Amino acid sequence: MRRTLLLFATLVVLWTIVAQLNHELAGRRVYLFAGALFVAYAALTQPRRAGLFASLLGGILCDANSAVAFGTHTLLFAVAHVTVFQVRDRVPRDDNISAIIVVLLTNLALFLVFSFSQIHRSPAPAAVWPRLIADLVCSQLFLVLVTPWFFALQARTLALGRVLRDDPA
Amino acid sequence: MFKRFDQARPFVTLLIVVVAWLLVPTTLKTFARASFFELTAPVTVAADYARVLREYWSLRLHSQDELIQAGRDLARLNASFEFGVQQNSELMAEIARLESLLRLPSFHDYRYEHARVARRDFSGWWQRIVIRKGRNFGIPIGAPVIFSGGVVGRVTEVHASTAVVELMSSPNVRLAGVVEGDALGRPMSFQGGVNATLAPPTGVVEFVPLDVHAPRKLVTSGFGGVFPPGLTLGMIVRAEMGSDGLFNSGEVKLDERLGSLTEVTVLVPLGQQEAVSDKR
Repeated sequence: MRRTLLLFATLVVLWTIVAQLNHELAGRRVYLFAGALFVAYAALTQPRRAGLFASLLGGILCDANSAVAFGTHTLLFAVAHVTVFQVRDRVPRDDNISAIIVVLLTNLALFLVFSFSQIHRSPAPAAVWPRLIADLVCSQLFLVLVTPWFFALQARTLALGRVLRDDPA
Repeated sequence: MFKRFDQARPFVTLLIVVVAWLLVPTTLKTFARASFFELTAPVTVAADYARVLREYWSLRLHSQDELIQAGRDLARLNASFEFGVQQNSELMAEIARLESLLRLPSFHDYRYEHARVARRDFSGWWQRIVIRKGRNFGIPIGAPVIFSGGVVGRVTEVHASTAVVELMSSPNVRLAGVVEGDALGRPMSFQGGVNATLAPPTGVVEFVPLDVHAPRKLVTSGFGGVFPPGLTLGMIVRAEMGSDGLFNSGEVKLDERLGSLTEVTVLVPLGQQEAVSDKR
């Protein structure tokens, strides 16, 4: 429980930072999507149940602050979490580069699935793609910069909360 | 057998989560959504207060000469606005006189609630803002929101001290508009559209009469009773024959300032407010 709450607290910090950046970038019509960061650390390093609950809470947090059907982020994050969790034994988890690659791939998948689920609302769906691709490129660049810091933040938060990294919750 | 089940265990957990989510009653989901929004609302509002403080300190850096000049400019503006207010009250009196003479139904009355924008959220999928006033100021769902450049959008969610406004550039917003100066007042359908990167927001307009050519100013029609008539929506910059051959379809360029709003005005319908207070 403590592990899940500590992870959720770091997700609130992440949400705040991304929301503030998006606020500042609104005038330039650029939007950062960092869905993978809500999932990656918990899926790569944490026990199954506690990590999944943290990802679900992160999904609900994003759902509550977006104009989508409630549960869209939650279910997407759950699927992403389970998929990353399944392959985590095959990637070097403590390596920054591999963590960044996992985050980038997960974010790409989440972004595309999310876009396909939302694009039907637009009056000209085909015309929206250039904007979405620009947003995706910016988001991926942002993730490259921020992933090592955010992973370190989550690890340090758990350490401060005296939660051992791989202990079953 | 057990090893294979162990490998599939995360997916079984996922299946359980999905089934549990589907079985959760809507009331509980609505409650969870509102709770999580309220959880983040203080963060949003605190960030905005920090922004106000930053602006204040940056303004403190201005020299006295600049402040004197700004004061002089404001005095000029005030003088012209005072004249405008006088003209407005005369026109209002004239409208009231004509309404009583011709026995016309009167326009909706609104209370103007000015609110600061706490958060802007402009993705390719939706565009919305969070304002720093909610139930505590009697903001109702569906209330129109305007700014000096025309229509901003419509209130879609109201929380304890904040409210969410869906912007007119969002594909989720549809409303009826008319071309300014069209004597026949022929309505057309406006919908938020594509918001390209580093470009002004746009919308699309359908059912444009064939004799209406770009560029023309599109304003609210007043039909439906939500938005008062005559508020600026945008400029029709392109109108082409639609696929049915009966109407044109076109593109509307919206105000560029929609992406950098800091203050907006919510029009709270007075009749509705009175009805709410009567119920209480």
